[in-house]
Amino acid sequence: MNLKVDQKIDEIKTDFAQQLEMARDQGKKVVGCLCSYFPSEIALAAGAITVGLCGTTEGPIEAAEKVLPVDQCPMVKATYGRAINNTCPIFPLTDCIVGETTCDGRKKMYELLGREKPMHIMDLPQKPDEPEAQVHWLAEVKKLKAFLENQLGVVITDTALKEAIRQGNRIRELLKQIHECRKHQPPPIMGLDLVSLSTKMGYNVSRLTYIDQLELVLAELRQRIQNNYYACEPGRPRILWTGLGNSLGCDKVLRMVEECGGVVVCQEGCGGVTRLNDPIDTQKDPLEAIAERYLRVTCSCMTPNNTRLNDIDLLIDEYNIDGVIDLTWQFCHGFNIESYRVKEIVNKKHGLPFLHIVTDYSQSDIGQIRVRVEGFIEQIMAGKDNVYNRSAKSLQNI
Amino acid sequence: MFAGIDIGSITAKCVILNESLITSCAVIPTDSNPKLAGITVFEKALDTIGYSRKNIRRIVGTGYGRISLDFFDQTMTELSCQAKGVRYLDPAIEGIIDIGGQDSKAIKLNRDGTILDFTMNDRCAAGTGRFLDVMARALKIDPETFGKYYQASKKPCFINSTCVVFAESEVISLLASGETRVDIAAGLNESIARRVGLLANRIGLDRNIAFVGGVAKNIGLRIALEKFLGTKFVSISQDPQITAALGASLIAREGYRM
Ligand code: SF4
Ligand code: SF4
Repeated sequence: MNLKVDQKIDEIKTDFAQQLEMARDQGKKVVGCLCSYFPSEIALAAGAITVGLCGTTEGPIEAAEKVLPVDQCPMVKATYGRAINNTCPIFPLTDCIVGETTCDGRKKMYELLGREKPMHIMDLPQKPDEPEAQVHWLAEVKKLKAFLENQLGVVITDTALKEAIRQGNRIRELLKQIHECRKHQPPPIMGLDLVSLSTKMGYNVSRLTYIDQLELVLAELRQRIQNNYYACEPGRPRILWTGLGNSLGCDKVLRMVEECGGVVVCQEGCGGVTRLNDPIDTQKDPLEAIAERYLRVTCSCMTPNNTRLNDIDLLIDEYNIDGVIDLTWQFCHGFNIESYRVKEIVNKKHGLPFLHIVTDYSQSDIGQIRVRVEGFIEQIMAGKDNVYNRSAKSLQNI
Repeated sequence: MFAGIDIGSITAKCVILNESLITSCAVIPTDSNPKLAGITVFEKALDTIGYSRKNIRRIVGTGYGRISLDFFDQTMTELSCQAKGVRYLDPAIEGIIDIGGQDSKAIKLNRDGTILDFTMNDRCAAGTGRFLDVMARALKIDPETFGKYYQASKKPCFINSTCVVFAESEVISLLASGETRVDIAAGLNESIARRVGLLANRIGLDRNIAFVGGVAKNIGLRIALEKFLGTKFVSISQDPQITAALGASLIAREGYRM
């Protein structure tokens, strides 16, 4: 199976819009979603197709800046711009949209986005470890169910919810195993290739075909490892990516890291391995189980968000990481501040190089970022050389 | 012989090295033609000692212009080259502050001289050589006099803006309100020192720091930074502008031995 995706994000979207239109002709409903806290199982149980509407490209930002302040996170601007500038082929095909109260930028932008489509906002508690948070969030999940039933004119049954959970868990499991193939040294796929592939596969009208595709990808990656067919030479610095910037369209830095001689073997964060190892409990009442699981998603909008930091700590060892890159979008205060704690773990606990990059979707800072990225790779390589030299020296001593 | 060529946004530098010594070095303006500047500075350094290109066994390029030329055997970032160059001059150095034309960097070194951590200024020009140039123009003074003014001023103005554009208008309104050029220039120096000093703080540079890059020749800024950081810079035996080129030439020599 060929795992290379040569299409640009816009081409992928256009292809997908065609499939969406066909599905709509057959009476399917489409729910637009915006975040990892969206409990997609509810929409799937309603028989709807879910589609991600986050803006990952620079194009729509200009349109958004006519309304939103310029000093905003590019993701907030691009998401809004994509909805209003009439170039996104997917946005008009949605029947309704669901958002969550994550960061301030999103929350306030949603007030304006809600003018474009029927929109429901879920109130996300931000201290998820408190017992009250669970109660509140469960109520929010129930409201979402009522909203979708009303909007789409369907009844969401427990049986349908259980089936959606089963599929959702299967997808998480397959994605987890796909990511875990990259623990192999060297990995069977480059970071950028996996990002492109996941972005493309993420746009799907049928969960069952999605599952089939994931199974094929997993089989191919395992085959590659068995045949000793790898994506790069051994010894390339193995990078753990965290924060944002790991989806097609806004991948400029990730791309650069691999051009400069690194290989991204793991991404922590939305679109990466985050909480893939965290299935929905199938023994419990489906709505309760869904609510519990989605409240465990880690994002800097939560406090104290320790799970994210613990995950990073574990991933560094599991994936045999040589250095960590944390990418923050400009004006994203949550991830920007949290970066300090990430650095502490990477530097102090693991003694590894850490690079924090703050950027947006434009190309204007490419030169400056390149110095940082190349310097970072050189820093890792020099450290590795020293390790080799040291062990070579100690061998001589024997 | 080995060469290191550092093509920055404002000047291009070249250092030529033999097995044991620096034999030649040259500095010329980049004049927004990094390619030409790289070739010219190399030839200038060669001419000084009457050698030609074929005498050079390896060339390492660094600086923003490193990607513009194809005759380099290898390229490295200024970060690694500064680390190499500065450590060669003084093995006791633990940190580097490098202010160049379009960016400023703080680098922390491991005991073995490799990079432990680094930070750079954000995408804007605050805390860079360009900032000083623009301000010098607004004040109608020569950038070189910044240092003198700093020493002469009794009461440096407090300049808030870190953005070049805003700082420029702040300077103009300070002039209009009757502040002297001397105090404004001194205030600008302090404003950069704060900006760059914070970079250094962020990675924990506190002593044995070398101050390098073209802007390091500004004596006023040097004093202001020392005050901010609470430590005296280590004095190095070479022009602080050529340390990255020196590091590049050292890397060229090491690479040849390998
Ligand atoms: S980073 Fe946070 S706000 Fe953004 S998609 Fe992920 S969970 Fe949602
Ligand atoms: S990157 Fe930060 S500011 Fe931007 S949408 Fe995500 S959480 Fe909000």
